[in-house]
Amino acid sequence: MLAIRHIARAAALMAVVACAATAGRAYAAADDKEAKLITTLQTGTNPEKAIACKNLAIYGTKTAVPVLAALLPDEKLSSWARIALENIPDPVADEALRDAVGKVQGNLLIGVINSIGQRRSVVAVDALTQKLKDTDTGVATAAAEAMGHIGGKAASAALEQFLPDSPAAVRPSVAYGCVLSAERYLADGNRAESIRLYDFVRKAQVPRQRIQEATRGAILARGAEGIPLLVEQLRSPNMAMFAVGVRTAREMQGPQVADAIVAELATASPDRQGLLIITLADRGDGNALPAVLAATKSGPTSVRIVAAGALERIGNVSCVAVLLDTATDADAELAQAAKTTLARLRGKEIDAELLRRLSKSSGKTLAVLIDLAERRKIDGALAAIAQCVENADPAVRSTAVESLGAIGEPQQVADLVKLLAKIQDAKDRTDIEKALVAICSRCGAVCTPHLLPLAKSTDPALRTTASRTLACCGGPDALSAVTALVDDKDESVQDAAVRTLSTWPNRWPDDTAVTQPLLALAKSGKKPQYQVLALRGYLQFVQGAKKLPADQRLAKIVDALPLITRPEEKRLAISVLSAVGTAGSLQPLIAFAGDSAVADEACAAIVDLASKNNQGLSKEQRQKALQTVIEKAKSDATKKKAEGILQAIK
Amino acid sequence: MREEAVRVSRRRLLKTAIQAGVILAAPQIIPSSALGKDGAVAPSERIVMGAIGVGGRGSYVLSCFLQESDIQCVAVCDIQARRREAAKKAADNKNGNQDCTTYRDLRELLARTDIDAVLIATGPNWHATAATMAAKAGKDVYCEKPCTKNIAQSLALADVFRRTARIFQAGTQRRSLPNFMYAIDLARTGKLGKLHTVHAHPGGFTPGMSGWLPAEAEPRKEDVDWDMFLGPAAYRPYNRRLLDGFNFEKGGGLVGGGCLEWGSHCVDLCQWANDSDDTAPIEYEPVGNQLHALYPNGVKLVMRNDGWLPMGSCPVRFEGETGWVETGDDAETAASSAALIAGRRTKIPGYPANFHVRNFLDCVKTRSKPRADAGAACYAHIACHAANVALYLKRKVKYDPKTNEFINDDEANRLRSEAFREPWRL
Repeated sequence: MLAIRHIARAAALMAVVACAATAGRAYAAADDKEAKLITTLQTGTNPEKAIACKNLAIYGTKTAVPVLAALLPDEKLSSWARIALENIPDPVADEALRDAVGKVQGNLLIGVINSIGQRRSVVAVDALTQKLKDTDTGVATAAAEAMGHIGGKAASAALEQFLPDSPAAVRPSVAYGCVLSAERYLADGNRAESIRLYDFVRKAQVPRQRIQEATRGAILARGAEGIPLLVEQLRSPNMAMFAVGVRTAREMQGPQVADAIVAELATASPDRQGLLIITLADRGDGNALPAVLAATKSGPTSVRIVAAGALERIGNVSCVAVLLDTATDADAELAQAAKTTLARLRGKEIDAELLRRLSKSSGKTLAVLIDLAERRKIDGALAAIAQCVENADPAVRSTAVESLGAIGEPQQVADLVKLLAKIQDAKDRTDIEKALVAICSRCGAVCTPHLLPLAKSTDPALRTTASRTLACCGGPDALSAVTALVDDKDESVQDAAVRTLSTWPNRWPDDTAVTQPLLALAKSGKKPQYQVLALRGYLQFVQGAKKLPADQRLAKIVDALPLITRPEEKRLAISVLSAVGTAGSLQPLIAFAGDSAVADEACAAIVDLASKNNQGLSKEQRQKALQTVIEKAKSDATKKKAEGILQAIK
Repeated sequence: MREEAVRVSRRRLLKTAIQAGVILAAPQIIPSSALGKDGAVAPSERIVMGAIGVGGRGSYVLSCFLQESDIQCVAVCDIQARRREAAKKAADNKNGNQDCTTYRDLRELLARTDIDAVLIATGPNWHATAATMAAKAGKDVYCEKPCTKNIAQSLALADVFRRTARIFQAGTQRRSLPNFMYAIDLARTGKLGKLHTVHAHPGGFTPGMSGWLPAEAEPRKEDVDWDMFLGPAAYRPYNRRLLDGFNFEKGGGLVGGGCLEWGSHCVDLCQWANDSDDTAPIEYEPVGNQLHALYPNGVKLVMRNDGWLPMGSCPVRFEGETGWVETGDDAETAASSAALIAGRRTKIPGYPANFHVRNFLDCVKTRSKPRADAGAACYAHIACHAANVALYLKRKVKYDPKTNEFINDDEANRLRSEAFREPWRL
């Protein structure tokens, strides 16, 4: 129901869009676009006039202005007319909007004033100044903000004069207009007037937000000379003004800003220290490095965490020692912050320093360095990490193996396979198998030759590992090796091989060959459970082989049909047949419909297939199939659906 | 196509991230104790928020906010009564009281001085207007995308958030998801060699202008406030088929939505990958069923709808002189070599917004720049709007990101802005 509603809605919208697009093209093709659009404004319906206004926004000239201006008092079309008037460059549009100020009221007047502000029409300043005192608050606030956008001496003077005595409801907008005017002065190069106006607002009785804006502007307009005012905010007991300070500090240029912030660090509370350090980091101030490094080494833990993180953006190779020390701290969050910074600090010199330390470290530090070498993917680190896989410290061994899994290459597969043969510890073996799975999944069949020795190991556990890891490689050689393990002398290896084959990865076309051993197993596996696993694996593989042509998928299902005897597999086969969805699917589905255990599933699939007229089925075939559904289905809903389709076909 | 994010609990997401050793949410320099992530947070430390627009997408993003321990949602606003009530129920459940107030008019919510931040998920027609009003009222803003309807709005949005010193996060949550961040990192750090082409999947180039449909009987204002629904969009009579805030007036103007819906995500990611958060392409040209654009640094942006690896919606691809990487919403990543994608990484499919919301809340506290701040969103949206202008005019256009004008092109320049219906303005 929801979908139908969406489609209906989309269709309706598309129809409108098509009309609009057609209209747009027609106008574009005409030589006298504007004349036709004006005619539409004079004679068309409201929807046509609306679209004409949109087009006049692109193609209108002063000729269109009077006709558009005539629509300004029209509540339904005023906004459309202003779409055009705002965009027509000719000054006649400014005059039309200014003239409308005296002709319309309420929201329509507000709209006109907004358009004047958008156009920055200086010609309207006098008219807007009068409207500052309008009893309609909406009109007065619109006038104030429009004057702010226009800027210049006349507008800003009027706003400044009006601000102190303006009504409370209008004052925020008058102050905003002043802020806009100050901004405009600065953009036009009149810094002194900008500062004066910003200072005027921040000292006026205006809402907190306006004071914050004016303070920010006053600091930035002063440039380096604004630092004392910045510091004043950083020391403010008012958290909102402190926030303005740290935000504005991020916009300021020059090393003196960092110096000022660093100076504040000494006396600020821990909470504020953290925020100041983040500000330094956001600014990327290199000259703040000594202070931030010192804050990383000692002090309240919450500040140390912030400082360690800040080094990510302002740190360099000189920070490695402190950060490494911090990365092994007992406080997990602090250690993690340092480690993350070490993982992200940019620069080849950092890589070199970490690699140098890796070869000389031990214990917890070595584990951290291995992890970092992996995360940073340091060139040449693989060999160093590989040396650690036999380290006496289990934590180091485990980290090294995990890291090899994450970034290792086929050569590391060979190394790990050799190592597997030497060790007996169960956890070590599990870690290594995980690493092998990770590398083989990433690098694929190129790893297979390195794994094959495992398949020939005398140790059944390693042959089992071979089975699982070869599946990650995929490809014919891996498949052949795992297939051979089905006949292994050890039952646990056989089990693993059968399970591996039944969940073989589907990287078509390379792996389609797995259907052969699976079908063979399904027919004559040593144990009934092998036959079931293989049959289910076979059907699931075919279901997932979506890139295999439909006729080939169907043929594979047909090959297995004689083996499908249990309802569980029948349901799976029905699902695959339904997914294939060709004419050839129909016959097996009809056969399944005869089994009461799966009749409903089969009937539902038949209805789905027969309801479509593009599956290569004749009318007679569809009718016969639907008749079968009516006879066999237990579900009334399915029967009813079949009857409905049957009726429609007739 | 609608963007329906999978609802995943924050706890599960964090667990996934922690297991992989990656905490994405915050600039990692903020202690979790300071962010109130662990356990109860004192009321005085909570960010008091309101939600404006709580339909399908809005209620989902609000649910992400409500999973955070350091927020308190005290107000919800929507033009539809049933949505207001549903959102209030969710907020009250989290707050453990009945105090969340409902509003039909966002101005009343924004007038509250106790609210620090707002979620805006009204639908694109309202996004820029509501965000601007919120900033002027002193609120920090998390705003769903597309954030703007045209180039002028994009610039004005960035201006107002600079001027007011408020925090803005565009709802482009893929900026906070690990597979996209990883691919972008490869591009930005030279691991692909010198970057030469970035590809985005805009999900259609068809304009989606919302027209003027026949008038229908207007519902009671209490149930559906049509005047507020129209908001800044030019007048047209009530018709329930237009009552789809997700698509209404997307992109505005004659140009319509086009590549804006998905482009505001995937073009945005290309902008980031090319280190172009403060600029936009300078040329846009429809080429067959693609749109080609050129960045000032010579990198080419290709917007195309086909030829992608099967990695879910919103894919991007970055190509450099020595390698390429491609990723999408299923969180898988493909690259030109196994070495490029080696390493432990978190995979979080379903493009949840939780991490992006967290990043916003952290920045509300630190006053840092969020990942998708108004400046970055401005130029990502400009790239999409300019592409739409080229598609509408069916020809190449040249854009100057310094003057923010199309070069010697009156037609294109007049498509940069559009008047607001009274009384609304930026």
